Amino acid sequence: MTPSAKRRLLGAVWTIGIFAAVAAPAPAPAQDKQAVLKERQTTMKQQGRDLGRIKGYLDGTADQSAAVAAATDLTRTTGKIPDLFPPGTTGPSPDGKYQPKPAVWSERTKFLDVQKAAAAKAEALLAAVKGGDKTAVRTAFIDLGKNGCGSCHTGFREKLKP
Amino acid sequence: MRQLPYRFSRKTQTLRAAALALLPALAGARLPPAAAGADDAAARGAYLAATAGCSQCHTAERGAPYAGGRVLETRFGAVVTPNITPDRRTGIGGWSAADFAQAMRWGIAPDDSRYLPAFPFPFYNRLEPRDLADLKAFLDRLPAVSRVNRAVAPQPFAAARGAVAVLAMDLPGPWRPDPGKGAVWNRGAYLVATIGRCGDCHTPRNWLGALDPDRVLAGGIDGEGHAAPDITPDAAAGIGRWSLGDIVTLLEDGQKPDFDFVGGAMGEVVKSTAGLDDADRRAIAIYLKSLPPIGSSATGSPQKARSSKKD
Repeated sequence: MTPSAKRRLLGAVWTIGIFAAVAAPAPAPAQDKQAVLKERQTTMKQQGRDLGRIKGYLDGTADQSAAVAAATDLTRTTGKIPDLFPPGTTGPSPDGKYQPKPAVWSERTKFLDVQKAAAAKAEALLAAVKGGDKTAVRTAFIDLGKNGCGSCHTGFREKLKP
Repeated sequence: MRQLPYRFSRKTQTLRAAALALLPALAGARLPPAAAGADDAAARGAYLAATAGCSQCHTAERGAPYAGGRVLETRFGAVVTPNITPDRRTGIGGWSAADFAQAMRWGIAPDDSRYLPAFPFPFYNRLEPRDLADLKAFLDRLPAVSRVNRAVAPQPFAAARGAVAVLAMDLPGPWRPDPGKGAVWNRGAYLVATIGRCGDCHTPRNWLGALDPDRVLAGGIDGEGHAAPDITPDAAAGIGRWSLGDIVTLLEDGQKPDFDFVGGAMGEVVKSTAGLDDADRRAIAIYLKSLPPIGSSATGSPQKARSSKKD
C-alpha cells in the first residue's frame, strides 16, 4: 500500500466513524431523560394555557393581541413535539397520569404525520386569529384540539392503570 | 330484590313490548316533526343510534355499516357483532318489535338462543319501550345487507364468567323517572343510565365482574384496560371543580377544563356525544353535578401518592 492510499483509507475510516457517532447517538442518560419527561409535560401544559388564552379571546375576556401571541406560541410548540420524544424516553409524566404509547417510536412515521397535521392546524388557527373572524377562530380552535391534540392523545398517549 | 332475567315470564315481556310497539311517536317529540309518525320514530331512532354509537361496534373494518362482523374483545371473552340490517335471512329483517325489545332488554334472540356475554347489557336493559321502538324503526330503514353472522371459538370459561356477572347484576327493566326531580334532571339521568352507558367504564366492578351498585360512576376501567376516572362531583378525583359548561364542552369538543383534549376510549365516546343536542349535553351535566361525590379509591389515591413522591 502506498502512503497516499493509506491516508485515503484512514480518512475513510475516520469519516465512517464520525458518521456513525452522529447518526446513532447513545440513549439519553437518566437525568437527561427526567429533564425530557419534565419538559414534555411543561410544554403540553403551556399549550393548554395558550389554548385557554384563545378561548378567552372567543369568550371576550382576552384581546386579539393576546390570542395572536398564544397562537404564535402554539405554532412553535407543535413544531417541536418530535424533540420532546427522543428515543429511549418513555415513562410516566411527572404528574403520574399518562405515558407515551410505544407507537411513538415504533410507528414514528405515523406519529410524525399526526404531529405535522397538528402543526398545520396551529398555523391555520394563527391565521384565523389574525383575521379576527371569531366563527373561523372557533372552527380552527376545535379542529386543532379535537383532531390535532385529540388524535395524538388517542393513538400515542396512554392513561396509566390504577 | 335482585331479579333474574331468565325467570321473567316471556308472555309478560312480549305483551309489554307489543303494547309499546303500538304507541311509538305519540308522546313528546323533541325533534322537529318531519312528516308522518313513522318518520318521526325513525328520526328519533337515528339520534339514539348515533348517541349509542351502534355502528361503531356493528360494523366490520371496511364492512357495510350495521352489517356486523367486528370482533370485540370484551371483559368476558371475544364476541363477533351480528348483522343488524333488515336483511331477512342474515339480519333482523324478520323480527317483530317484541323480538327486538326482547333481544335488547334481555339478550334473548327470537330463536330463544342467548346473546351472552354481550347481552343482556345492564344499560340497554333500562331503555324505555318507546326508545326501543324508535331504534327498530330506524334500523328497519337501513339498506338490507346480506352477511352471515359468524361465531368465535367457544370460550367456556369466559362465557361462564359473563353469565355469572349478568346474574349478579340488577336488571330492573325500563328506567323509571324520579317524580321528585325535574324533567331536565330525569333526562340526564336517563341518558347516563341507558343509551350513554357511562357506567360501563366509569363504574367499578366487583370480583364477579358485576357493576358495583354502591360506587356508581366513581371510576372504573375502560374497554382498553385503562383507568376511567371518577365522574361524580368529588373535588379531588371527580368533577367537583368542573362547571356545567365544562362538562358540556367536554361532551361536545372533548376538551377538559385545563385545555387537555381527551383521547383513547373517551375520545371515541366524544365522537358520539358531539352529535347530541345541546339540551341533552346540559341535562347530562346537571345530572352528574347532582350526584353525591364518591371519590375514586382506584384511580385517585395511588396516583396522588406517586406524584407526591416524585415532586
